[in-house]
Amino acid sequence: MHNCKEAKEQLTELLLDGMDGRSEAVLDQCAECCAEFEALAATLRMTTRLRETVTPTEQYWTGYHAQLRQKLVHARDGFHAKAQRLNHAKEQREELKPGLGFFFASLRQPLRLCVKTSLLPVPLGLVLMVMASVVALFAIRAARQPVAPPPVVVHVPVEVPVIQEKTVTQVVYRDRRSVSKTPKRVVAGLTTDNTLARSQKLQPEDGPLTLSGFKPTDEVKLTVIKGGSPNEK
Amino acid sequence: MIVSESDSDLVRRAQAEDIDAFCLLAERYARRIHLLASHYCRNSQDAEDLSQEVWLKAYQALGSFRFDASFYTWLRRITINSFLNHRRSSFFRRRGETTAVQLVQIDSETPESFLESHSSSPENIYNKLLFENVVSALSELTPSQRLSFLLRHYEGMSYEEIANAMSCSTGTAKKGVWRAIGKLRARLSPDSEEPESLTSLANEY
Repeated sequence: MHNCKEAKEQLTELLLDGMDGRSEAVLDQCAECCAEFEALAATLRMTTRLRETVTPTEQYWTGYHAQLRQKLVHARDGFHAKAQRLNHAKEQREELKPGLGFFFASLRQPLRLCVKTSLLPVPLGLVLMVMASVVALFAIRAARQPVAPPPVVVHVPVEVPVIQEKTVTQVVYRDRRSVSKTPKRVVAGLTTDNTLARSQKLQPEDGPLTLSGFKPTDEVKLTVIKGGSPNEK
Repeated sequence: MIVSESDSDLVRRAQAEDIDAFCLLAERYARRIHLLASHYCRNSQDAEDLSQEVWLKAYQALGSFRFDASFYTWLRRITINSFLNHRRSSFFRRRGETTAVQLVQIDSETPESFLESHSSSPENIYNKLLFENVVSALSELTPSQRLSFLLRHYEGMSYEEIANAMSCSTGTAKKGVWRAIGKLRARLSPDSEEPESLTSLANEY
């Protein structure tokens, strides 16, 4: 029995394989399938035709290949530079760090010798090999550890904050009645032992201060009171 | 009498860093690769860049060629991977700008040369319209579907080969091809809604 869906799939495959001729067995005289076949064939003919027409001219290909050659030369130079860098880095690594492959390769030969010659019992040989490998591993690890450079003493001045002493101000009140009624200036003058004070003592209190009668002395007497200044040492 | 070297000989020379040998290989197969690229990308510049990228990748990977298959089979595998990795061109993202691009190309030519090269021949106009329609229909597909169709129709690969090259199932490859043909048929058939029927034009030529 004719199935249009299956027939369409078969027709598409036939057309894609280049069989443009009508297959009566597939179409089975179905009008719908015939129309579908014609439409599909026309569509694929057009795309095939397009494939031939979109090919660029020879002039285009000349420039295309010249540009491609430039890119290839550039890429080759890049490969060489990269390969040189990689080889250099590999050599440096091998010089600095002997790998585990090298370690196991060095163990292979003595192991073969032990097995072939049978100089030692196998368990003892294995124990010796394990011990040797452990010692070798420690030796490699020690060799890999970088030597610590000698310590460098650096003098750096550091400012350390100092806690300031706390200054406490205490206000002391005194009774007004205990204050002497003697003028302060006169009292102060009495305590000082100089000529000016003596001359002032003779002056009346309300009068103006003058230098009349002032006679400079030949000696100056100074009294130093220790402990009066906070900066005194 | 000049006897052309076989692909294998050229590949051996190219593996020994002979660029001339590789360029000879490129001259042999560049048209096929470019044809696929021009149908995969809408823009001709993108197609040129993509096809040259394929050759550069092939040159880089030439050391891994083991002569198990033909050189073109190996090259086609690189082409497929490059196409699938290639980002979609701006046309596929913004289809509305096609006309503007075309106008710039026309303006850049002198009127005489444009008439000689384009409008003097109805066949050229037809081909241009056809190309626009075919690639526009292909652009509505996913990249893998589009590539499946190109490999099946232009390269004649079987569905198994396509599936193997694209790392997908045979059913996926087959579905992609059929969907592409369906789109093309809808766009190019006489009963399509296009302003001018291309099928009728096709019958004239």
